[in-house]
This record gives sequence, structure tokens and C-alpha cells, in this order.
Amino acid sequence: MYKINLALLILSSALVFSGCTKWAEDKQNIYVYQAPPPPGGAIPTNTPLCGSIKGVMQTGQTYVLGCTINVPKGDTLILEQGVTVYADTTSGIIVHGTLISLGTQAQPNVFTVKGITKDNTPNLPLNQDPAHKGLWKGIMCDTSCRLLVLKWTHLDFAGASYGNVDGPAVEESSGTSFNIVFQNPNGYCIIEDCWFYGGTDDCMRISNGKLHIFRNTFEKCGGSGGDIVNCKGGSVGTIAYNFFIGTAYNGQKASNKGQPVGAPQCNIVMYNSTFVNGGVRITAGSRAGGIDYEQGAEGAFYNNAFINCRVGYRVVNNPVADTLHLTYGNNYQWADSLVIADQFFTYGGVCTKPQPTDIPRPSLYLPANFYYPNPPANAYDGTPVVQYENPKFVNYPLPVVGQPLFAYTSIGSFNFHLLPGSSLIGKGNTTIKPLVVVPIDPIYGATEVTPPGADIGCYQINGSGNQH
Amino acid sequence: MLMIKRTLLSFVAICLAFISQAGTIKGKIRDSKTGEPMTGATVTLANTRYWTTVQLDGTFTFRHVPAGKYQLTASAVGYQRSTPVEVVLSSDNDEKDLALSLSVSTTTLEEVQISAASGGSDNTARRIEQRSDMVQNILSARTIEISPDITVANALQRVSGVVIQRDNTGDGRYAIIRGMDQRYNNTLVNGIKIPSPDDKYRFVPMNIFPAEMLERLEVIKALTPNMEGDAIGGTMNLVMKNAPDKFIFSANGSLGYSTIFNDNPFVAFPHAGINKQSPAEIHGNDYGAAVSDFTTNNLKFYNRATPINNTLGFTIGDRFLDKKLGIILSASYQDLYKGAVSERLVPDAQPLPSPDPNTLNPSDSYVRTYSTRTNRIGLQNKIDYLFNDRNRISLFNLYLHQDQFETRYTPDSSSAGLNSTATQTLVKPEYRSRWQIQDIYNATLQGNHQLSNKVRVDWSGVYSIAKQQIPDMASYTWDQVVYREASGKTDSIRNTIPQGTSNAVTHRWQHNKDQDWAGYGNVEYKPSLFQREFAFQLGGLYRYKTRDSYNNDYALQAVNGGAPYSGLDGEELYFQATGQNKGSYTAINAQSYTAHEKVAAGYIMTRFLLVPKFQVLGGVRVENTQDDYTTVLPKTSTIGASGTIHYTDVLPSVHLKYSLQSNQNLRLSYFKSISRPGFGDLVPITDNSNEEFTFLGNPYLKHVRADNLDLRYELFPGLADQFLVGAFYKHLTNPIEYYVTNVNGPSSLYLRPQNTNEATNYGAEIVFTKYWGVFGISANYTYTHSEVTTTKRLYGLVSGSIQTQNINQSRPLQGQADHVGNFSLLLKDPRWGLDAQLALAYTGTRIVQVSPYYGLDIWGKPIAQLDLSVEKRLYRRLVFFAKINNLTNSPNKEYIKFPYTKVNANLPSGYTIPFQDGGSNYTVAQKDIYKISYLGGLRYKF
Repeated sequence: MYKINLALLILSSALVFSGCTKWAEDKQNIYVYQAPPPPGGAIPTNTPLCGSIKGVMQTGQTYVLGCTINVPKGDTLILEQGVTVYADTTSGIIVHGTLISLGTQAQPNVFTVKGITKDNTPNLPLNQDPAHKGLWKGIMCDTSCRLLVLKWTHLDFAGASYGNVDGPAVEESSGTSFNIVFQNPNGYCIIEDCWFYGGTDDCMRISNGKLHIFRNTFEKCGGSGGDIVNCKGGSVGTIAYNFFIGTAYNGQKASNKGQPVGAPQCNIVMYNSTFVNGGVRITAGSRAGGIDYEQGAEGAFYNNAFINCRVGYRVVNNPVADTLHLTYGNNYQWADSLVIADQFFTYGGVCTKPQPTDIPRPSLYLPANFYYPNPPANAYDGTPVVQYENPKFVNYPLPVVGQPLFAYTSIGSFNFHLLPGSSLIGKGNTTIKPLVVVPIDPIYGATEVTPPGADIGCYQINGSGNQH
Repeated sequence: MLMIKRTLLSFVAICLAFISQAGTIKGKIRDSKTGEPMTGATVTLANTRYWTTVQLDGTFTFRHVPAGKYQLTASAVGYQRSTPVEVVLSSDNDEKDLALSLSVSTTTLEEVQISAASGGSDNTARRIEQRSDMVQNILSARTIEISPDITVANALQRVSGVVIQRDNTGDGRYAIIRGMDQRYNNTLVNGIKIPSPDDKYRFVPMNIFPAEMLERLEVIKALTPNMEGDAIGGTMNLVMKNAPDKFIFSANGSLGYSTIFNDNPFVAFPHAGINKQSPAEIHGNDYGAAVSDFTTNNLKFYNRATPINNTLGFTIGDRFLDKKLGIILSASYQDLYKGAVSERLVPDAQPLPSPDPNTLNPSDSYVRTYSTRTNRIGLQNKIDYLFNDRNRISLFNLYLHQDQFETRYTPDSSSAGLNSTATQTLVKPEYRSRWQIQDIYNATLQGNHQLSNKVRVDWSGVYSIAKQQIPDMASYTWDQVVYREASGKTDSIRNTIPQGTSNAVTHRWQHNKDQDWAGYGNVEYKPSLFQREFAFQLGGLYRYKTRDSYNNDYALQAVNGGAPYSGLDGEELYFQATGQNKGSYTAINAQSYTAHEKVAAGYIMTRFLLVPKFQVLGGVRVENTQDDYTTVLPKTSTIGASGTIHYTDVLPSVHLKYSLQSNQNLRLSYFKSISRPGFGDLVPITDNSNEEFTFLGNPYLKHVRADNLDLRYELFPGLADQFLVGAFYKHLTNPIEYYVTNVNGPSSLYLRPQNTNEATNYGAEIVFTKYWGVFGISANYTYTHSEVTTTKRLYGLVSGSIQTQNINQSRPLQGQADHVGNFSLLLKDPRWGLDAQLALAYTGTRIVQVSPYYGLDIWGKPIAQLDLSVEKRLYRRLVFFAKINNLTNSPNKEYIKFPYTKVNANLPSGYTIPFQDGGSNYTVAQKDIYKISYLGGLRYKF
């Protein structure tokens, strides 16, 4: 009997011990930095700014970033008009809350790096151009950022790597170097009448969000690569009246890649943008140089002008865009030479359908049996449409003389407004409906949703559209 | 070829031997104490030329012995020479049948008798398995020696229920025991845990151990309270050679060749100019490197014709000072050239939403070749001193060093989906050189003291260090467009300097070091209680581990992207975005950290016979773990720059053993065990060296706990024969699974270790070994079934709109194969000194990589590898041996359970994905070819 008792004793004590699973609970104490709450109110100008921030940067004042500043969740930083912010390679702006920059046409705001001048020399090698060095980190919005509003604001020389602290703080890798990142599918990203100069990768990465990107100017954006306004799965809104020159890859791109659970399908309406010398860094057959819809993106693109872009606009075949819900037309393309015209309808994994409203008219140069769902290389001869229907810019002679293609990546002293008699005038489709998903408000929303214009491109002969 | 002829001749000779007849002396030799057959013992007729060895069944035979009077003696290592027996043969046809026994030399303590006695034979292994208190399987030194394997990793695959995970060249590296991934198993050397040189994990790469250094290899599948509790699949205990009783000496050497280099050249790179430290290590973290700080010497690849493998090894040992001081030293050297050709199809980070949800879509396909030279040195030394028959101390030293030079060449990495068509393919060729240096050193000072007849004490003091260095892993790439005619024929190729954000040249430095100080102590007390003999054991351990890790990488871009490419030399490079010249974007990253681990454990355990045939072993172990880590990240980091993690586990276990008969056991055991996450899992590292996804560490990871049940029936009919059948059940709480998670942003998909709720794993195994005279069969089979449920994504159409949804999917644990087996045909003829083994290792279907998307996991096809080894005694102590691996050139093939025809249907017309099996209903994602390799050499044993 005692033997059995003994065995029972051992077994029961073992069971008692095994019941103590509470002991086995992991007690973790992981040090995670909590930024102290910012004081708020008027931001002082006398010391370099660093760390948590909220409040107001006042009209006409100049501020210096000593390190990355961050707007905590629930807090707001507002820039009144005429504000200048100097940043450097160690600094940028992290936005967990709300950032509003209210520049005006008369007194724009400026984010830049002190002492750097723009070099508009044509054909400047990448490694010699301060535009492509990435001299500060830009505006890094994380998943909790509810509202980003930039109006009449310059963002120059951004594109430094976020690094191992700021990158993970906004759930990006340390090597990320976008000028702006926005990634809240329920947040509003409103960018109007702004100027972007320089960069090393995507200028504006909209991972997801409700967006309104109107009437901006982009020069020298992207570095050795990068799509300039790059919208991914979960992004919805309208992108219109933007001017791009010398983009690395596309000016505007939509893809449903990485759609978060519960976020909408990528749906972007694009109209009346102008792309000059787009796709400086691409190889024909792999990417587009102006507009690109791919991987499940839906929407529409009309009334856009593409001037000497290395590859024409593309609707990608694999992974295919949502072609059932994608419409396009009234898009204009100009080629100085045959090498450009031969890529108006590029080859490879694309299914861009030529539209009768396109300029030049596809029937002028595409064969009747042009197989648009998967065109082979050299499927047509673009000779008839080289230098066809000159857009007549105020000061940018076409064809470009004395410089190779893609020599000019910034505006400099050129003027891309239209002269009377431009072939872009009156060719636009004004029936397109913008997709308005953001509030309209002088401070906390968009100022103006400019409807589609009658003239192709971002500058309207009646003075509406892009105001730069 | 000569070797094969000789082997054939030997076979013929054996057959002839069976039919001869003459005057004969035969008999049996047994161990005087255990009655076991003394296979391998030498029997001589004194003052004649007659000698023979004892066969597997314990018998010996002298034939054709002329009539006369003889003195017969028998001897074996570790045994006293038998007293001579007089045998008289009265005529040529006379036949004498004798029975002798040998006694163990008395100089060794009881517990080492088993191993010292018979030099790691099969029979000994069976005896240990039979007598053991817990469920285990053992490979003896002899089994390993005559197996086709030269590393412990490859030998492990012969053990029942073990699957090996292979490296890029098809060589075994890690063991998956009973479907439990390597993280759930631990590695001991002589019962002492050793640290791993791995940059992330605790588990030790098992191919760093030359197989010949072992006395035996134990795979223990049920833990007793006196064992470290961090093994759920099992514990691999590498028992090294002990100091012998008398002078021993053995040496071996061999040469070999891998036939993969018949078709593909071995591509080597110079490593002379490689800087062991990164620019940031030399000049400080704020140093902005210049292009001139980097050598390109290690990117100057060249071909080496017919590389020859070679191995060398020796063991020497003796006992001095009146047999009190024993010393053994073994050294092993291996220089091996291996290669592989790997075809891969990479699934895009996101599938297509239609026609079906989660329609597989590839982003890339390529063919890759590996050329790997591995240089391995193993040194082992044990000194023991016997004060008397009650007190002994020993000092054990182990040093392992491995240099591995790997060239990875990816000549045609093409974008299969996005940008390729039937007429043009975009390609990104890449060359990469990698020099990996791994070291393990362990020193153990151990004492055994029999304080009284009832009390025994042992203690160990341990110092171990394990480190790895990968200095300047470098790669370069360029862009290529291949234009094809409609017929598929290549029309032209255009090479250009790489464009875009892709890196033209990369350099990466990594090193890590684990240093352990540990003390172990055990007391055993064997009183008589309740008229029974009891054993109580009490003990504990304390281990203090310090771990350092460093990582930094630099990426250079080309200035003139898109311009014609004429090789690396003509390319102007620079660092693009500010900060990139500091490496890893400021050289401050979580991969550089220091960590500590303090493990304190204690146990109490008792063993007694409840009834004469029923042994009960039970007790409880408590393990307290205190981890901390500090990265070089600044305090303002939001991802956890530093942290501490504490937990305590109470681990009870009960092992019941019922001896049905003297040669049969029935065992039932329960134990609780844990698995600790590696520091590479815990520290919030972001590591983009993985090709498809960036790795992100998880400091909130919990350790894994498991309840384990085992039932086993064992039959040992004698000799080396055995029959085992058993079943097991495991329930895991917080199992750690790697799966891809979208932390945020479209492209920020992370591969991250994560706890899933629970998992179950159960199965059954059977082991069978039987000899008929000189022939034998050894076979084992394990069935395993496990299940874990994780959240996956479903990307598809919901009322016309594309949606991403979460969906649960149940699947087996990663790496768990449902069917695993080994089958070996054995030939052992001690008389002819011939051993041959044809070994087949089979691993069934298992998950190789878990996909974030429902239904798109990558599975491994069943693989059966056939190996042959032959050993023939040439002259007394000189043996020829040969090992031929992968006779059938079995490929490693991985696939996705999605028909490739459906993949092709979504590609631009005329373009189809390569590497597919015609008519199959799956998509091949990877296929690796290793070809046959040969090794042949000589072994001498004194």
C-alpha cells in the first residue's frame, strides 16, 4: 500500500508544480522611448528645435531644427505664412498628430537647408547635384497621423535616409528616404500649390490615405530612382494640375500593392498634369516616365501632357491594374525624336489601350492591328508623330536644341505656360469627376478642388489650374 | 574504379568462404558481467599465425587448423586479457566449441565502463538505450565511422525521427527532431551545453563537428529533471572520446571529389585583401566612408579546376602514472569543396486578386550556383586523473574552427512577372562572396567523488566561447536586357550600369560572440527505504552568458546608371543619400548589441523500483532565466533600445519503465520543457540581408512551454538487434513561428518571429535492426502530425472591389515532415574486415517557408537520398574506406500548392514560368541540384 501512496505522492506533487504556470509568465521590461509632452503655444525661435513639438510657428519667423522634431499623437503643429524652417542631415519632422503649413502665394513657407543653392546646370551628374544628396529627412507621417496640410510651401533638398531611430519610429526601414511619407488609410493628406525640389527616392510615398494633391510643382525629384507621387493600396483621392520636370521614374503612380486589411482599393483620379523629361533614370520596357497604373489600382487619368518622357503612360498587364474600373483619354504626348515617339505605347507587360481622344491620334501612327494587351518591341513606327502638334510653351523651345534629351531636370528660367495657339488648348475633357474624399477648409482641409480643365496639362490659358 | 573492383572481389571471397570445410576451433566470447557478445574482440592461437575477430553474434571460428595443441586467448580494448585456454585438435576433421568470457579492466569507475569498455560499439549503444532511464536513440562511434557521413549533422539523419535541414550545398546543418524545428532542440557536448556561433540563434550548426571525434551520439527525446529543460523536440548529446586504458593510436586520411564541378566550375575569390573590420569599426561610427575604403579584391572571382576534397584525422591516447593519468587527443581536418545549382521562382510580395483570390504571381526567376569551400579543424583533448577508485577529476577541451568561402553567382535573375515578356527579359546578374569564420571552444573541469557507498557527488566548471565573423561579404550587380526572337532564340543582350535605387555594390560586416561561464553540481544519495533501493538526486546549475553582436553594411550606387556596362572596374560608384556612407545609415542599428543571460536551475529527482520490474523516476526542475540586452540605439529610439526579460519555469517529469522481460521494456513518460527565444529573435533587429523580406526582431516574444508525453515498447533480442515502437504527444504554448507580417506601409512587409497561441504535435515511431550472420537491416520510420493556426491574408474580390481580409489557416509546424524514415542494408564481416552500408534517408512533405497569404506556403517535396559506404581491412590494422554521397543525385525541390498552369494563364501571352513539372498541379518554387560526391581513404588503428 505504501508503495502506491508514495507513487501517488510523487505524481500529485508533480501535478501541483505543473499547475504553477504563473511562474512561467515572461516579465518583459522593454525600454521604449516616450517623448515628453511639448509645451505648445508660440514656438520659440531663439534655440534650435528638437524632440516633441506642438503649437504655432509664427508669421515671418525662421526656425532651425537641431534634431528631428516630432508632433505627438493628438497634437498639432501649425505654420503660419512666411515661415522658414532650416533642417540638416540629422533632422526631419515626424508627425504622429497633425501638421499644417499655411503658406500663401504672397508669403510661402519654406523648408530647406541653409546655405545650399540650387544648381540648374543641364546634364549635371547625380553625384554632383546638391538636389540629389538628400540633405534632410523630410516629413515623416506615421500611421496615427490624421491630417497633413501643406499649402504654398517649398520643400527643398529633402531625401536623407531616415536612419535607425527615425525610420523605425514611423515604421519605415532605416534606409527609407522619401521627402514625404503618409500612411494612415483614414487620414487626410492635402498638398496644394507647393514646390518640391530634389530627392533621392520617391518624393511623396502615400502608402495609404485620403488624398488631395493639387497644383504642385516638382523639380529634380527622385534620385537614381523613385516615383514622385507614389500611391499604394488603400489610397483614394484626386491628383491634378501638377507640373513635373526631370523625374527619376514616374511622376504619378497608382498601385494596390500592400493594401492593408480593411482599407479601400487604391482608387486615384488624375487629370491635367504636365510631365516634362519624365523617366530620366528608367530603361524602356520596364517602367513608365509619367503616369502608371498597376497591380489592382482603379481610377481614371485624363488631360495630361507628356513632353519628351522616356516612356509613355502605362497601364500594367502583370500584375494587372483593375482595368475594369480604369478609364483614360485626352492625353497628349510630344517627342523631339523617334526614340521617344517609339515609346509612346511601350512594349512589355503592359495593356495600355490607345484612345481615339489621345493626341496625337493613334490612327496616325499605330497599325490597325496594334496588339495593345501585350505589345512586342518595335510594334510600330513613331516617325509620323515626331515633333507633332507643338504645345507652344511660353519659354521652352521644342524641340530642345543644343542639349541631349533629359538634359533639363529643373525649370530654371523656362516658362511652361501656354502661348495662344498651343495644340493643348481646348483638347481637354471637362466631364471627368474629381474624387473628393477630403474636407474643404481654409485651415483643416483643401482650399480648392479645381475641376478638370479645357486645356491639356496643368496651366490653363484662362489662368486657372497650376498657379506657379 | 579500382576500389569497386576490390569490393566485388571481397564479396566473391566471402561466398567462397562459406563452402570451405576443415579442422575447426570455434566458440563464443561474452562479457563476463553482462553476458553481451564481445563483437570485435581479438582471438589468437598463441605462437601461431592464427588470429580472428569475434563476429556480431559473439562467435569466432578458426578453420583449416592442423591437428595439435593450442593456447587460445581473447582480448578487447578495456577488458582484461583472458587466461589462456588449452585446445587440443586431435585430427584435421576435429571440431572444438568453446565458451569464454572477458572481464572489464577495473581501473575505471562504474559509469564510464560502458563507454570506455568497448570503444563505442553498436552493442554498447543498444545496452545504453535499454538501460537508460529515459527515451533515447544512440549512434555509436562505429556506426558513424562506417556510415557515409563525415559530419555530425549528416550522421544525425540516421537517427529515428530526425530530419536534417540542409545548407546551400545540400549538406546537413540543423536537426529537426520529431517535427520540432531546430529552435526546439539543444546541443550538449559530454552533457554540457555549448553556445552557438550563429548570428541569431541558440541552436548549434551540427556540421561544424567532424563525425569522427565522437564516441557516440545520443538523441534524448524525453528529459529527466537532471537535464537542462530547454528541449522540446530533443537533446543531442555529443559524447566525445574518453582517455583509454592503454596506448591507442589511429589515423586516417582521404581524398574526394564532388561531381557537381564536372558541369559547373568551382568559382573562388581571393580573401587576402579582406578587411576584418568595417570602416565604422576602424574610424568610429561617425565616419563617412569613401569608395576607396572598400576593396574589390574579394569580387575578383576566378575558376578553379577539379577541386579535390581531403580529410585527415588522428587520435592518440594512453594512460600513465600507474594507470591513474589518462590522456587522449584527437584532431580532425576537413577541406571540402561543395556546390549546388539552384533554380528559383520567387512569389511576388502580393498575389493577384483574380481570377481566384490569392492567385499566385511570381516576381522573379533565376538560376543560381553556389561554390563553397569549407575548411574545418576539430581538436579535442581529455585528461583524467584517478586519485583512487572513488575520486576522479578530468579536464576536457574542445576546439572547433571552420572557414567557409562561398561564392554565390546569380547569372540570370529575371523579373518573371512585372516586366518580362516572351520577347524581352529584364535581368539582374549578381556575384557575391562570403567568408564565414566560426569558432567554438569549450573547457570543462569535472570531478566525480564517491563519498560513501550511498553518496556520490559530481561537479563541473565550464567555460565556453562561440563566435562567428563574416568580414566584408560583398556583392555586385548590373542590369541586363535579353531580347528574344519570336522563336525564343536570344537576339541580343544589352548590359548596362545598374540604375535606380538598386545597389551596384554592397559590403557587409557581421560578427558575434557568445561567452558562457557555468557551474554544475549534482549529489546522489542511494539509501534503502521500504526494503527497496532508492536513488535521490539533487543538483543545479548556474550559467552566465554574455553575447555581443555587430553588424554594419554599406551600399554603393553607380553614378552613370543606364550607361553601357563593361565590368566593375570601369564603374564610378558613390553613396547617394546622405548618411549612407556611414553604413546601415549611421552604423547605429539594433544588430549591434550586448546581451546577458543568467540561468539558474535546480532539481530534485528520485528513482526507485516500485515493484521489482517497475522503475519510477520522477522529480521537478526549476529554471530561472534573466535576460537583458542593450543595443547601440540611442535612448530616443521607439522600438526598444534595451530591455530585460525574466521568467521562471517549474518543470516536472515522471518516467515509468516496466521491464516486461529481461530484454523488453515498456516506458511511459511525461515531462514539461521550454524553449528560449534566441537573442536574434528578441532584439528589435531590422535585417535586410534576407532576400525577400526584411527581418524584424520581437522583444515581446514569449518563451515556449511544452507538455510532452511518450510511450515506448523496446525489445532487445541481443547483439546489435533491436525493435522499438513508440508514440509521442506534445502540446506547445506560445510556439514561435516566423511569418511575414505587414507592420505598416505597402512595401514594409517584415519577416518576424511571433508567438502563436498553441500547437500540438503527435506521432509514432518504429525502429528495427536485425542481423542475419554478416548481413543486416536497419530501419526506422516516424510519423508526425502537428497543427498550428495562424492568421493569413486573403486578397480577392468582394462585390467587385479588391479587398484584403484576414483568415485563419491551420497547417503543420514549419519543417515538420509527416513521414520520415531510414533504411540501411548492412554488411559486416569481421573475418574479412569488410563493412558496407547502403543507406537511404527519406523525408516527406513539409513546409519550408510560411507565406503571409492563405494557401501559398512553400512546401518541400519528399526527398530520398541514397548513400553508400564501404570499409575493407587491408592489412591487420589498416583499413580502406570509401563514402559515396547522393548516389541518385536527388534534387531538393520546393513547391507551392497552386497549379503552374493557372500562373501562366495570368502572364502576358507567350511568356511562361520556367522550372515547372509538366502536368503537375503545383508550382515549383525552387530546385537544388547537388550531384554525387566521392570520398575514399585509409584508416590506421593501433
